[in-house]
Amino acid sequence: MNFILIAMILALLIPIYEAWQDNSIWQKMLAFASIATKTSIMILVISVLRDDWWIGVVAVIILSVGNAGLMLLAHLIKRFNEV
Amino acid sequence: MIEFFSYSCIVIGIIFWFWGTLPLIGKRSVLFKLHSLSVADTLGSMSIVFGLLLKIPSEWPLLLLAIITLAIWNTVLGYVLAYCSSGGGEQ
Amino acid sequence: MDQIAYLDIILRLTIWFLLTSDFSLANIIIGVSIAFLLPRSYTSSGALQDWLRVLWEIIVAIPQAYVEALQIMVRPHNEEEIVRERVKPRRTPGLVFLDIFLITFTPKTIVLKYHEQGWYEVHRVRRRKKR
Repeated sequence: MNFILIAMILALLIPIYEAWQDNSIWQKMLAFASIATKTSIMILVISVLRDDWWIGVVAVIILSVGNAGLMLLAHLIKRFNEV
Repeated sequence: MIEFFSYSCIVIGIIFWFWGTLPLIGKRSVLFKLHSLSVADTLGSMSIVFGLLLKIPSEWPLLLLAIITLAIWNTVLGYVLAYCSSGGGEQ
Repeated sequence: MDQIAYLDIILRLTIWFLLTSDFSLANIIIGVSIAFLLPRSYTSSGALQDWLRVLWEIIVAIPQAYVEALQIMVRPHNEEEIVRERVKPRRTPGLVFLDIFLITFTPKTIVLKYHEQGWYEVHRVRRRKKR
């Protein structure tokens, strides 16, 4: 199970690297969306690993709320580009 | 037996993650990366959560809700990102 | 109160019970009252058959999405193209949303834009260029 977590952290490094090295705003947004999903799945895995219900609840809440924030941000950036 | 299935689901999900996230680094259009991200983040994560579900069935309500929100929100986010990035001039 | 409203309330109750997973009487009362108190939209709702068909399509879409994912994994799809698709006639906004959801859910296709005149712009990857 620890091995799975290490593999997930490695996968998480890829979008972080991308968000750092790419200057285009939409590529950054993609990377951030990917980071948001991957982190909450990791939290979910940890909650199952530790058999803790409440960590899982936090993960599910992040899963829904984090993406909503990103959508709002995408619309804002679109508006700014139009002006 | 169920143990084996759950581990294979998780491993398949992680393979999906790596396959879908690696194209992020290359120089492709936003939309092309969005296709591979939908493989990684929606389908890969769904498979991981399904593996967890097999492993610990007692938490099924939470994990089922996780799968549903994952599918809906990630797909809608994909659509919103595609719509905004194509309308905003870039690519 | 038509069937859609019932489906709506059932959906809310399902989410509530999944989130709390507690079948005590107090919790059931809270869930039911929340399901009824949350505001409902009274826009025109599609026919029930349409909704049932879409539900079925969602169930079918999940294995299909995995099949498509395996297809693009095994053989690289490097060509991109934008095609236009027609919206099926007499669709309500809810059904249009579900259509967009279904198209975007499968990894090969993403809806770019929805035109009011009844077109989707669909972006898709394919294996090689059309001649």
